[in-house]
Amino acid sequence: MAEELQDQEHQHQIYLQPIPVRIWHWLNAFGIVTLTVSGAQIRFPEYITLLGSYKSAIYLHNTAGFVVAISFSLWFFYYTFVARTMANLYVPKVEDLKSGILRQVKFYFLTYFLGWENPHHPTPESKFNPMQKSVYLAIMFVMMPLVSLSGIFLTNVDPLRGLIVMVGGLKLLAGLHFLLACSLIAFLPTHVYLATLGRTPTEHIKTMWTGWEDEEEHGEETETGDLVASR
Amino acid sequence: MNRNYNLNSLWLSLLIMVLIVPLSAGAMEMDDCLGCHSDAEEVGEELFIDEDKFTHTVHAEMGCVTCHESVTDEHPDDGEAVTNTACLDCHEELGSEYMATTHAENATCSDCHNPHQVHGLKAVSRQDMNQQCSQCHEGSDVLESHTGWLPQADLHLAKLPCITCHTSAENYEIVLNITHKEKTTVAGSYPLSKYADLKEYSGEKEIQSLIDINGDDHISLAELRTFNRNPAYANLHLSGTMVPGEVSHDLSTLDNRYDCTFCHASGPGSMQTSFLAFPTEDGAYRRMTVDEGAMLDTLYGTPNFYMTGSTRSASMNIIGLIIICGGFIMPIGHGTLRFLTRKNRKH
Repeated sequence: MAEELQDQEHQHQIYLQPIPVRIWHWLNAFGIVTLTVSGAQIRFPEYITLLGSYKSAIYLHNTAGFVVAISFSLWFFYYTFVARTMANLYVPKVEDLKSGILRQVKFYFLTYFLGWENPHHPTPESKFNPMQKSVYLAIMFVMMPLVSLSGIFLTNVDPLRGLIVMVGGLKLLAGLHFLLACSLIAFLPTHVYLATLGRTPTEHIKTMWTGWEDEEEHGEETETGDLVASR
Repeated sequence: MNRNYNLNSLWLSLLIMVLIVPLSAGAMEMDDCLGCHSDAEEVGEELFIDEDKFTHTVHAEMGCVTCHESVTDEHPDDGEAVTNTACLDCHEELGSEYMATTHAENATCSDCHNPHQVHGLKAVSRQDMNQQCSQCHEGSDVLESHTGWLPQADLHLAKLPCITCHTSAENYEIVLNITHKEKTTVAGSYPLSKYADLKEYSGEKEIQSLIDINGDDHISLAELRTFNRNPAYANLHLSGTMVPGEVSHDLSTLDNRYDCTFCHASGPGSMQTSFLAFPTEDGAYRRMTVDEGAMLDTLYGTPNFYMTGSTRSASMNIIGLIIICGGFIMPIGHGTLRFLTRKNRKH
């Protein structure tokens, strides 16, 4: 009965974000904000004292870093071995690279302003548009592992001294960690802003909370849909 | 006149004898002492003096009888007990500072310092300084007591002399030591280089020339970079530490040492004064000044010396800020156009 009700409730919706992904997303979001604030205090202790003592900022930063690294591993494990959709979701296809990215860039920076529909329609099998795929690929497969790895090195300097010298020294590692963190922080405003580009400003954000996204209206039924269909 | 001259010259030669003979006798005497005391088999372990180490100390310059006054020419046949002078006779200020500590109840001066081997603070390495402490304080106990409250306790204990925190000295200096790679593990370990280790690199030249290229007894940032980039020195690395600026024997821990920002803060003047300590032939060290602020150079000044909060580089901060600002281009730029074209999206 309950299931039927739920089915009815969601009959024009698709289940886009399964619960493990949502838990990971918000844990990660909370972790990254914590890392940003504590990291800022660690780097600029005489200007930023939001978290009290320097020691508490360090412990919080290390704990949050650990939580983010573990949740990243679980995210990776879930998509690769449980959902088995990692490659499909995150690796751009030849088609995406050839025309998809350009089409998406054209939408975001031109046709969006003219009122056209987004050429990409998210489904559980293809959640991300070609542009998202490329950006998330860089973030999740390059930047996140590197920032986590450099963080692990920086919290174990004494035992890993030899390895640190091998990769070019402590300062290079700390510099890399800092610049990667800045890049990830820079992605936050862009990420939050793009999340408001749904049909309503909160549509995508609600999806990330509930898992359900309203189904796309049929292209033929709208004026703009026609334009998309005719291309 | 002639008689007067003779008398004068007699007085003069007497004077010269009075002045010079004791000096030469004193110099002779140290050699005499070491003649027996530098041979462990002859005098036994307890009375043995390591000649190489002793002759390079400041104490050696004063000669043996300055401290061991009772020693006569007949020693040891005269059966006289040899007297030792009290350290506090000379080191009055440090001594009374130390005597007021709880340490003094457990250890005398010579329990920590061997007067026949001792060097000043500026002429010893971090390990030399900690060697004194570790005679009583077990490494594992020290690690355990610090791990409870100190982040990266192992790193702090490995890189710093104990007296950096357990002292009343208010000023610190950064001292860089040269280390070299030893293939004990896959990644290698980096012990402090001794004079002989570095002589292999410098060859005929003085070891200082490895870094102080122009021989001006000062190390510039450019010279540090050249040293760090030189592929011939790929296995040599600079390891930094913080040591108290002045010697203090009040071994209590001041409250402000529990505040991490006492060291980890890039306030004015932080990380500006530094030295490079070159090992000397006799096992001590000789410091050379380094350019002000060289520790802050992002990559090539001191690649392996980094302290969170203290050694951040200004150029890195600017790059970071530009990157973060870049993240606002999309929301601000796109958002503005979105607002201006909002009518196009009303269906």
